[in-house]
Order: sequence, then C-alpha cells, then structure tokens
Amino acid sequence: MKLKLTIALVILFTQFIHSQDFNFFEPKVTIGGYGELHYNNEKIGDAPSNAIWDFHRFVLFFGYSWSEKWSFKSEVEFEHNFVKNGQGELALEQAYVNYHHSDEFGFNIGVILPSIGLINEYHEPPLFFGTERPVYHNLIIPTTWFGSGASVYGNVKGFDYRVMIFETLNSDKFSLSQGIRGGRMKGYKTDASRLLYSIRLDYLNIPGLKIGGSFSFNNAKGDSTQVDVTIAEIHAKYTANNITAVFEFGNISYNNGELKASRGYYFDLGYNVASFFDLNTKITPFIRYSDINTAAETISGGEKEKRYHFTEWMIGLDVKPIDNVVFKVDYSEQTRKLDDRKSKFINFGVGYMF
Amino acid sequence: MIFHKVIYIVFLFLIFTSASVSQDIQDKVRVSLLNCFGENSQIIFEKFTLTFQLRNSIEKKVGQKFFLNEIYLYKIYNEKKIIGYGLLDNVYGKSLPITFLVMYDSEGKILCSEIIKYREPYGGAVQSKEWNDQFKGKNVNSDFQPGKDISGISGATISVNSLTKGIKKLTLLLNEILSK
Repeated sequence: MKLKLTIALVILFTQFIHSQDFNFFEPKVTIGGYGELHYNNEKIGDAPSNAIWDFHRFVLFFGYSWSEKWSFKSEVEFEHNFVKNGQGELALEQAYVNYHHSDEFGFNIGVILPSIGLINEYHEPPLFFGTERPVYHNLIIPTTWFGSGASVYGNVKGFDYRVMIFETLNSDKFSLSQGIRGGRMKGYKTDASRLLYSIRLDYLNIPGLKIGGSFSFNNAKGDSTQVDVTIAEIHAKYTANNITAVFEFGNISYNNGELKASRGYYFDLGYNVASFFDLNTKITPFIRYSDINTAAETISGGEKEKRYHFTEWMIGLDVKPIDNVVFKVDYSEQTRKLDDRKSKFINFGVGYMF
Repeated sequence: MIFHKVIYIVFLFLIFTSASVSQDIQDKVRVSLLNCFGENSQIIFEKFTLTFQLRNSIEKKVGQKFFLNEIYLYKIYNEKKIIGYGLLDNVYGKSLPITFLVMYDSEGKILCSEIIKYREPYGGAVQSKEWNDQFKGKNVNSDFQPGKDISGISGATISVNSLTKGIKKLTLLLNEILSK
C-alpha cells in the first residue's frame, strides 16, 4: 500500500510540474478602453453653419477571468466629457458574467449588447469609417444599444450564432424621426413582463469576409401604447487585400400606430493607398452612400414618408499610424427627399482603443 | 487501511484531473505536428530560452512582447534527418492567452499554422483553417500586415492583430535560431 501511495505521489508531482508547463492560463484582471475626440461642423439647409468640439466618448473596460471558462466583463462609458442637467451621459454599457464552455457553446448574462448590425458590439473608433458612426447606426440600428439580458453563443463549422433574450423597448418613445432609438431602456428598471427575442447568424469561413443577419421580435409596450416590433437586418464586411467594403440593410416593422416601417441601408468602400508605397501606416480614402428613412411606411403616407427620408454621400480619409490609433476626416452631404434640402457636414477626429 | 484507500483514490483523482488540464494542449500539438510533417516523423521537444538581447531585438521589430521567456521548440526528424520545426507560444487576445503553433520547413518557411487553444468568447474565427492557411509560404521577409497580406476578420480584430504579430515574432526567432 505504501509503495502504491509513493508511486501515486511521484506521478502526481511530475504530472503537476508537467501540466503547469502547458497550462498557460492565469487568473487575471484586464483593463482596456477607447475614446474619441470630434470636431463637428454642420450646415443644415440655409441656416448658418455651426461648429463644435466634442470629446464624444471615453470608455473604460474592466474584466476579470477567474478561470478559462468563467469571466466577468464590463464597460463604463462617459459621453460628452461632462454630466450635468441632462448634458453628457454616464452609463454602464456592459457588465456581465460569461461562461465559455467551448467554441460551440457559451452563455452570458447581465448588461449586454444585442447582436444586431455590425457596429453595436464592435464600436471602437478604429473599427469603422467616418468620424461619427454611420448614420444608419444612429437612426435604423440605434447604437450603442445596451440593457439587461442573457445570450447563448457559439461557432459551429464557421457559422457563428447568438440567441438572446433582452429587455423590452418602450413603445411610447418610438418616433417618425428616430424609429426605435428613443425606446431603448438602457438597463433602467425595465418592464420585465415582456422581452425582446433575437437571433443572429454569421458565416466567417471565407478569409476577410463576415456575412450574416439577425432577426428580432419584441412585443413592446409603454404607458399608453403597445406595438409589436420586428427588426430584420443583413450585413457584410470584407477586409483583405487592402480593401475594406461594408454593406448593411435593415428593416423595422411596427404593427400598431402611425409608424409602420423604418428602413435604411448604406455601403462603404475604402482602399489602403499606403500599400502602393509600402508604408506601414494605413491611409484609407473611402466613400459611403446611405439611404435612410425612419418613416418609410406610415398610415397617413404622403409627405410623412418623405420628411424623414434622406440620402447621404460621404467622402473621407482614415489614417492609422498603428492599428489602435486612428485619425479621421470626412465631408458629407445629405439630401432630404421632401424638398431637396441639402445639409453639409465636415467632421474630423481622433480615436483610440487598447 | 480504509484511510489509506481513501487517500489513494484521492491521489488517483488528482492525477487524473491535473493531467487533463494540459493533456489536451499536448495532444493537440502532437496531432498538429504529425498532420503537418507526416505520421512517420519523430518529435524532439525542448524549451528554448530567449537571451535578453534576442528577446529585446525581436520585440522591438514586431511591437509585441513575448508571453514567456521560454519558447516551446519541437524539432522534427524523419530518418534521422531534420525536416522542420514547430514553435508553440501564446499571445494575449483581449484578456486571455491564445495558444498557437507555427510549423516551418528546415529553411524557416511556414508550412502550417494552427490555434491550439482559444479561450475568449469573442473572435474565435481566427481558429479557422482558412484564416491560418494564409500564413503558408511566408518567411522572415514577409509583410505580416492585417488587411494587407493577411485578411482581417470583422469581430476578431484584436485576435487577428495579436496573432499576426505573434506568428511574425516566431518566424524572426526561428530565423535567428537557424542562422546560428
């Protein structure tokens, strides 16, 4: 018996040393963040132009990994540099416990970001063109969209999936001019009697390409309204051979009230011209075209469907001396469908992530 | 006697669980090496310790620190002749280490690249064979630039950048080892 025990001890000891050699994980705190300073100059129709400086977002990321499977992640966001009397905003945009069982399956629960559109989950400034996020991601898919929820995710044979239940939208706050944007509850004492259900599927096994879509349903309710909302969107992004190309289309349908549908799309095309000169800095001129109508279908029709319909051309430059720092400048022109009113925007900014 | 038996069983359990923590990494490395170099290859494992100077010069060139001071080096033989090398290392994704293996021919050209263990909930697409196959044929003179000669993956930007630098680092290191 003693001999057996000794042998077991020796094996255990050598196994322990050996396994430590190949066990690269250590419990660890992670700190990260991103931020962006903007200059915005806008000229709406015939009104005089107006220019501002805005440290739009300052975000800190804290995480802790207890083990290879269990971790906590959070993101605290500070908007417009200052919080007072409804100016600026301080928000807990992410705070969730994550269980990562394997590539095929994991889940998280807490304050999370819905997997709707390309930017909501991946919104750091070096990851998109333009000083401001695409207008599609303001008016059609309202980023950053965060709130209480839980999701199951995984990747099977190149198909990346996420199924989620999420807090409801407040249908009282839906509007012709901003679609569902005002209805986000941001994790603040949301009515728990109803939920938003969402499923997203992407295919990733073609190098450089991400292509997929999502479908979400919510029987949204407010104090005075009740509206069933469905959000369907498709998205694709290609980054390879110095090309960056993006396309997104989204449609939101409402079953009750004046507003029947919000709809929009945009595409980006950029090329890293620094590749001609063999520079390590990435210098990417790009163009963007957007078509946005938050009141694409209404009960009354007519002018109402034109008032919030506009198209936008943007040209810009995205300069990345290193992958985590970006300087941006862009010019865009919006044309309102109702009366051909033109608005012009000049923006530039600097963004970073770590 | 019963007490002894209990201790014995506890030990057996500990042996089993402590082994399983790392066994999957070692098994996967072995399978990857044999897939890349052929079933008849002999594998000799050693730890290569980086000198301060070497570590410093490669880190500066690539802009990324080494995970440890030691790199796991596999020398691959076929009929007593060296046919290639495997280097096992880690880089950090957003918060957790990514364990990866790069396999080279005897001249230092990449033959195969594989992610041995990915631990993050996001960005797992870097494990795909298609993404890793892009490194085939690269050597110390290659660019290793995401978006340029290496495709990006939307949603896996941090892992793509980090791994590309990690693979470049190992390629420079092997070149140094071979030139000695």
